[in-house]
Amino acid sequence: MATQAALPAYGAQASASRGSKRPKIKWGAIARHVILAIFALIIILPLVWVLLLSVKSLPDAYQNEIWPKTFDWTHYGYSLQKIPTLPQNYWNSILVTLGTVVVTTVCAVLAGYAMVFLQVPGIRIVFALLVASMFFPTRVTAVIAIFETQKDLGLLNVPAGLIFPYVTLSLALSVFVMRGMFQTVSKEIYDAARIDGAGPVRMLLTILLPLVKNGIVVVIIVNFVTAWGEYLLAKTLNTNQSAQTLPVVLAAATGGMGAWVWPRLAAVYIMAILPGLIAFGFAQRWYIKGLQEGALKA
Amino acid sequence: MAQLTVAQPQHGRSGAERSWLQRVGDWVSRYGVPWVFLLPTMIFFIGWAVYPIVRVAWFSLLDYRPIQADRPVTFIGLQNYVEAFADPLLQVGIIRAATFTALFLPGMIFIPMFLAVLIDRITNARVATFYRLVLLIPAMIPGPLIFLLWKWMYDGYIGPINYALVDVLGIFTIQNQPQWLSNQLVIPGLTIMEWWWGLGYHTMFFLAGLASVPRDLFDASKVDGANEWQMFWTVTFWRLLPVTLVLVVLRFGTAMAVIDEYLIMGGFMRDRPTYTWTVYMWDTAFQGVQDRGYGAAIGWVGTIVMLVVVAVMFWAFRSRD
Repeated sequence: MATQAALPAYGAQASASRGSKRPKIKWGAIARHVILAIFALIIILPLVWVLLLSVKSLPDAYQNEIWPKTFDWTHYGYSLQKIPTLPQNYWNSILVTLGTVVVTTVCAVLAGYAMVFLQVPGIRIVFALLVASMFFPTRVTAVIAIFETQKDLGLLNVPAGLIFPYVTLSLALSVFVMRGMFQTVSKEIYDAARIDGAGPVRMLLTILLPLVKNGIVVVIIVNFVTAWGEYLLAKTLNTNQSAQTLPVVLAAATGGMGAWVWPRLAAVYIMAILPGLIAFGFAQRWYIKGLQEGALKA
Repeated sequence: MAQLTVAQPQHGRSGAERSWLQRVGDWVSRYGVPWVFLLPTMIFFIGWAVYPIVRVAWFSLLDYRPIQADRPVTFIGLQNYVEAFADPLLQVGIIRAATFTALFLPGMIFIPMFLAVLIDRITNARVATFYRLVLLIPAMIPGPLIFLLWKWMYDGYIGPINYALVDVLGIFTIQNQPQWLSNQLVIPGLTIMEWWWGLGYHTMFFLAGLASVPRDLFDASKVDGANEWQMFWTVTFWRLLPVTLVLVVLRFGTAMAVIDEYLIMGGFMRDRPTYTWTVYMWDTAFQGVQDRGYGAAIGWVGTIVMLVVVAVMFWAFRSRD
């Protein structure tokens, strides 16, 4: 960032009489902000629309009033009570996502650590395979075999069974993020701790983990988003509505029909995206730092 | 410390004094312990990625319709592939996927690149962070939920897009309003949705790329009298080229193998532009007679076509380095 405090400086510049150059720069900055603000609006407006839809009274919703004349806050409670499997679907999503996030994060931390600090025989082959897997659409190409494998294991229509295929969805990426993070740790810290007698486990838990926490946040968020919304496998593997996750149930719901009138559908939708957005709100500082430190370099 | 000092001398006098048991123990502690750390990753990676890939390749060589209990599972060699290569629906399916990819890729690269250049110029750190965060919001919403949101947005009855076009702007009437999910418009509609979804995420990649450009380069070309446009094409674009090429390869792969969007917004009508090879594969394997063998072959043909193009891209992009 070259010049500091450019925004407040415009007034100052005007009085400092750098006449010829001033208007040009100012128009550029204004155009920049206008364009960015338009894009920000394009991002936010659809979400505002669905949020408003979820609190509209039914007549307002069906007359397509963008801003509701009468607010109706009951859609949230109603859909949870009256759509019989919904609390179960919600719980399935939470269970599957939690399991996937925890397992993948543990896997990625251990693997990333071993790749950077330990001599693992055959690591090059593992590494090459993981890289190759990122360019291979495993979830799509292998969905038939994943289905058969889950069937063999008796995991069809078992909500938690989804955890197994879900872990692999972002596993390679997670390992690379953690590997990238561990590479930013200086060798001196590692050697100093080793000379103090720290074994591989204690080293990882007490010394290295705090140093790579931004990367862990990235891994958690990436896997949360992957698992929380995954559709193809969830639809293929769990066909009983009570074993399904939220996105599959929502996608199957026909808007405007019966219990799924539009505002209720929108209410369930808001309940589906809110956990992620709230978590992101809390974690965004570390997330962006983590992206800059390790993830985008991988 | 213990490992360091004890291990070294032992290495020196290996052989005679140590039994093979000790040596195995050494070997395990030296190489086995690191592998313990990799074990969880490998179990999942092999069990639910490598093995299914191999297994689905095996399926593609079988006549395999588990729904028909009396039909024996038989090995038929490449028969499924012979059929698949002659299958016009599979060819159309691959062309449809390629059409979407061709429409999707340019916008997915250039719009975020443009935004990243704009955000990079903002000198107020807070304002820049605000834009980054807002643009990243869709990246925090899982894809299938994005597709649902846009399916509703495109709806002719409740959707705000046609509300704006018909009721607010009056460009269309209720009779001739655009049917966004019709065969004519569904691919452009999906493309716009994908751009919206990936906007912030890809902008972050380009911002990371821009952060590594030395500021002197911009100052120097400014002194030389270059305007913004010239500066972009002489300095910025070339500095961003490595990031761009990585994104092109990655996004080409994901776009060719898209399926959730098509399932949610397209359905299983065979004349839909969304009925690509991925949908065809799923439809064949899990609906109707559930022909898993032929479905697997369809999946492999589509995947191999995609991978060949990815390999060519790698080769073409690498040779310039």
